[in-house]
Amino acid sequence: MDSSRQFLRQSLGLIRRRKELAWFCMWCAGIGCLFLWDEIFLNAPAFDRVRAALFNTLVSGAGAVFLSLVLGWASGAAFFLLEQRRARYSFALLSLVANAIRSLPQVVLVLVGYVLLNQLILAEIIRSETAQLAWVTVTVSVAVFLEVSDTIRSRLEYFRSLEFIDAMLCCGISESRIIHREILWRNSREHLLHKLIALFGVAIFLQCSVDFIVSVGLSTNVSLSNVPLTLGSLLASVDSKQDILALSNLFSDPAYITEIVVRHLQGVSAAFCIVFTLVCFFMIANGYARSRRLNGP
Amino acid sequence: MKPFEISIAQDGRPLIAVAGYPVAEGVLTILFGESGIGKSLSALAVAGLVEPAELTISVDRESYAHYLARGDVREYRASGFFVFQEPSSHLNPLMTLRRQLNEGSLARATNEPDVIRRLWQGNEQEAASILDVYPKPYRPSGGEKQRVLAAMAFKKMSLLRPGSSGFFVFDEPTASLDNRLRDEFIDLLVDYLPQAPAAVLLITHDYSIVARLTRRHARLSGKVAFKEMYLVRGKQEVRDFEPREYLGWVSSLKPLGPGTAPAEFVLRVASGMRVLSRSYRFVRKEGDANAATLTVYKGRMTYLKGGSGLGKTTVLKTIMGLFEPEKMVVEIGGRRFTRENRRKDWSRSVWGRKMTMVFQHADEALNQRALVRDVFGGLPGFESSERNMLDALAKLFDAEAEGSFLNRPVYTLSGGQKQRLNLVRSMILQTEILLLDEPLSGLDLKASAKVIHLLEQQLARGSAILVVSHNEDIFDALTRPEDVYLLEGHKEGP
Repeated sequence: MDSSRQFLRQSLGLIRRRKELAWFCMWCAGIGCLFLWDEIFLNAPAFDRVRAALFNTLVSGAGAVFLSLVLGWASGAAFFLLEQRRARYSFALLSLVANAIRSLPQVVLVLVGYVLLNQLILAEIIRSETAQLAWVTVTVSVAVFLEVSDTIRSRLEYFRSLEFIDAMLCCGISESRIIHREILWRNSREHLLHKLIALFGVAIFLQCSVDFIVSVGLSTNVSLSNVPLTLGSLLASVDSKQDILALSNLFSDPAYITEIVVRHLQGVSAAFCIVFTLVCFFMIANGYARSRRLNGP
Repeated sequence: MKPFEISIAQDGRPLIAVAGYPVAEGVLTILFGESGIGKSLSALAVAGLVEPAELTISVDRESYAHYLARGDVREYRASGFFVFQEPSSHLNPLMTLRRQLNEGSLARATNEPDVIRRLWQGNEQEAASILDVYPKPYRPSGGEKQRVLAAMAFKKMSLLRPGSSGFFVFDEPTASLDNRLRDEFIDLLVDYLPQAPAAVLLITHDYSIVARLTRRHARLSGKVAFKEMYLVRGKQEVRDFEPREYLGWVSSLKPLGPGTAPAEFVLRVASGMRVLSRSYRFVRKEGDANAATLTVYKGRMTYLKGGSGLGKTTVLKTIMGLFEPEKMVVEIGGRRFTRENRRKDWSRSVWGRKMTMVFQHADEALNQRALVRDVFGGLPGFESSERNMLDALAKLFDAEAEGSFLNRPVYTLSGGQKQRLNLVRSMILQTEILLLDEPLSGLDLKASAKVIHLLEQQLARGSAILVVSHNEDIFDALTRPEDVYLLEGHKEGP
């Protein structure tokens, strides 16, 4: 009894000290409560759609974050090494590609990815929902990976001025080991994790925004009804739009709130999942930066 | 004032637990000991300068608040002075040094001309140009800032009235001073000491101070106490340090390596090297008009001397290929390197294979986030098995280097342990040439003796060593006169 009380006290103390943990717990609790409510008041097919949409969105977001890490790590290290070795042409080529990506708004890049997805679906090259979701994931990661790359470059740039790098080089330790293991893994993983948490929110936001934009349909043959369900596409469906429009009744009849939370649950649930997830992950990223004191280099 | 009992803990973890921290009125106490074991923190606690927010502090078994409220503590705090190890942390960037030198009660002191003249070795014009600047991290130099702080302390010392008490702390006051300035500082301290009924504590790693005090100021023997701080099973202990022990040890040192004429050189650096707009030349003795070629022979140790801030470290790093010189001709193991060569040339054939370098500041030379075992990872030709790592550590560590030591994060080690780890990492590579930048920095006498023994083994194996150090007493004795060079440097252009 005492030990469980002590465990509880320690856990609460940890949550109080670490805001990111508190917000993660809040996100889990919020989504859990929503699902419990939906289980009781939302019809089964609609609830299945909400669950599938949330799952697909989270998986796609997590995949985009993972791919961004891989692309960002590779490109950040490549930038650094090419600069160190004075490979001017390769550096210029890599910069050109990176700047070309950077010059386009992220939403436009994801939109282009959807247009290509449309072509691939029409050509029957991509058929399965998993492959379509993977394509969307890759598209989002291409739009955001430069943020990871920039973080990695700034970390490498900062550490280049420190003496321990030169000391290790003089001992014959390979430059790649120093970059990947000593600088990025040992000294930068907290900075990178912070960036990835923030990017997770960005990835979900981008995906939902573009899903909403393309809700009018990508072509006569391809619309949101034949690409994987996500929170954005669920919110963009006619049923959900009607649910959201029903919110306007609250202006004339505040008592209508009781109807909203039982009769218009699909749209409200989708909107809640999007907004609540974005807010929570924003707060998790901020809390993590604060608790790990990541303000400086 | 009498020796203090100090205990400092952070989050329940003891940082300092020392009985008999050596402070005594009317006595100049010289405190030695490995860096990072708590000498400075204890002095800060006695002087009432520790921020107690995150620490649990007790002095003489009183809470810190009670201790600071004591009448005698208030008096010796008000009349005393603390010369910080890092002088920039003391100086106000918004006031010129001259204003700070005359701030508050310091304006009443009349000994400023004498102190300034002696600390600037008669060059009052240079001192005047320094005193009229605002301190910035890079200007004036560390040595100049240290001299300004010392001048403040000596002015404050001259204000003490008979019967009053004051606590003066000099924390590594000679770290950035060359030997001549260090000796002048000691002489000045001794001259002002009889006038001040104060407790003076000088914290240092520089054992050369012992020689100056005992040889030049033997008459002070009753007023000088030599102490050494040790870490024994996690607790600090202060013991008497016997000057004869150091002097006897130094006089027993003999030149390392074979006495016969050297057969083959492995490193040659031509005078006239130019880097970061400074030109360097090597001479055999001060004022020598003829420049020499710095030549390092197989199986012998070469000693490069030079004043503080002259650029000895820059020269070593340029030889290592870490700086891009404007002019340089270096021959390493039969291969010629000039300004045309790129880092990759050193990377491919020199670093860790032909030549390696031990950096001056172990704190900066090691990845603080790594574990001790990680320091051995990736070293060419070294199989980083637990047995090999422990064997390597055993050369410079005592029983402390056991299995669990390998899993300690580097940032938890004391400064002396870091320096020894820094040395071990380079020495196990068994390269043809070893460049050492202040290898005894932060080490106590016992550890210094071990390092020297290890250097002897390296030379016996045929390695060549080029060393840069302020410990002239020690390295002059360890090097043959024909292997000693003096570095001269001057700024070129605007």
